[in-house]
Amino acid sequence: MAAVVQTLSQAAPSPAQQARPIVIEGDRVTKIFSETVVALEGATFSVPKSSFVSLVGPSGCGKSTLLRLVAGLIPLTSGALFVHGQAVGAPRKDVGMMFQKATLLDWRTAVENVLLPTEIGGSVTWEDKRRAIDLLHLVGLKGFEFSFPRQLSGGMQQRVALARLLQTGADILLLDEPFGALDEFTRERLNLELLRIVAEVQATTLFVTHNIAEAIFLADHVIVMTPRPGRLAAMVDVPFARPREIALQQTPEFNAMVSEVRGILGGHA
Amino acid sequence: MSVTAAAIPAARTASGSAWGRRILNHALIFLALIAAWEAGSRLGLLDELTSPRPSAIVESVFRIYVEQGNIYWHFFVTLVEATAGFIIGASAGVGLAIMAGINEPFRRYIQPYILVPQVTPRVALTPMLIAWLGFGWSPKIAIAALICFFPPFVNTVTGMLNVDEDAREMFRSMGASKRQIFWKLQLPNAMPTIMAGLKIAMSLALAGAIVGEFLSAHQGMAVLIHRYTYSLNMASAFAVLLSLTAMGFLFFKLAEFADSRIVFWRHDDRLTRIGRKRAAAMEGVMARQGAQQPSAERPV
Repeated sequence: MAAVVQTLSQAAPSPAQQARPIVIEGDRVTKIFSETVVALEGATFSVPKSSFVSLVGPSGCGKSTLLRLVAGLIPLTSGALFVHGQAVGAPRKDVGMMFQKATLLDWRTAVENVLLPTEIGGSVTWEDKRRAIDLLHLVGLKGFEFSFPRQLSGGMQQRVALARLLQTGADILLLDEPFGALDEFTRERLNLELLRIVAEVQATTLFVTHNIAEAIFLADHVIVMTPRPGRLAAMVDVPFARPREIALQQTPEFNAMVSEVRGILGGHA
Repeated sequence: MSVTAAAIPAARTASGSAWGRRILNHALIFLALIAAWEAGSRLGLLDELTSPRPSAIVESVFRIYVEQGNIYWHFFVTLVEATAGFIIGASAGVGLAIMAGINEPFRRYIQPYILVPQVTPRVALTPMLIAWLGFGWSPKIAIAALICFFPPFVNTVTGMLNVDEDAREMFRSMGASKRQIFWKLQLPNAMPTIMAGLKIAMSLALAGAIVGEFLSAHQGMAVLIHRYTYSLNMASAFAVLLSLTAMGFLFFKLAEFADSRIVFWRHDDRLTRIGRKRAAAMEGVMARQGAQQPSAERPV
């Protein structure tokens, strides 16, 4: 099973990509913070609906910058960036974000934290509350709906953050190393649950990580990025069938793909 | 689970008796100190005129509270001065700081005006305040307010500016307005720091009122201390001092109580109860979800 590697300049959409509509599209997206810091240069890419795309690369490759650009949190310097065919200028309701830190509000219970996006959007209905509790059950927090963040472990706090992200109703999920601060075992379990959940809600997911194996294990497509200036080096299609098991990571095919990505990163990683 | 469950009561009893022993030790040390003082006084090692013996202080406490009952009015005067000073100074401090926290130009322009009085010893202003405000209650309240202003002000500014950048981005990504970010993130996030400033201010308020009274007053606890010391009735002066200790303790306990109510999320012992209360408030929603069984195993 050979992986399909394309250099991005000549990226022709694969048949699978053609079948699905494109929801995020970048055309030579460039972000310059100051004259000396080119965070991202000429990023051209497209993300098909309901696909899981990993952005992998060493620090300084602009992966978080790309995520924040898509979220509409920072303006781009040049190029064009579209979500659902509309140019991105400000945060959108259909795009939600999650960070390495859970960023929960300590004075709110789990369910009150999940309800925050609804509160910001307007008034909270009985239906919203029911949905918030359902989402907490979906992320495996049955029985912890009324615990405060301080009473929850780091992994459980990230589960609440994930439920809060889903409560926004966004169908595009931007995840910036969401489990990066957790231990290896917790991270592995949460990754598996993340796959189950995004499949269930049929979300389009952009997942930032610096862990090559994690990037491949989760994704349909891996965008490999190199630093100084931040550039998209290649898009690798991941052919492994779903649902995926941890054991996949021990197969020769998987390891071949890890080496391949490492090769693209070359001296940068 | 059964192992831990069985271990808990045993552990509690053990720590209970340790606690009892500690209390007993404290009491013994305290009694020994008092006894040494009393003995030193009776044996003539301490000058009884300036250092009254403990038993004489206890007698004085009884006299000023029960026999003469003359302390209550003075106690009330000082209490009112300190409380009024605290309320005025602290609310001005917190209010200005909130404005400075949400408005960057305002913060820039008031900075020098904040720094100058902060590095000036405020009690040095007492004679001027008396000249301006006379000899009544107001100069004492003004001094207390002046001293109370800074800790809440500085702490509130710090708390307002010390917001996690990721949390702010999270709010922005949800499309939150500035007003929503202030009420739902900045202010509650600053509350623990604000409360710490208010606690400091509360103890300073009492000191401010006392300083004002020492300089010029005809009523209040400081006046009593002055009067008793001048007439070499040291035992009664100490009795008044003890009353001030009690007042300070009252303030401290009040601040602690307010802290545990307002920033409850910093008090682990209160979280479970409040969580249960909030669960009850949403019972209608939960009931429709079917019976709630906690997960068999705690998720990671």
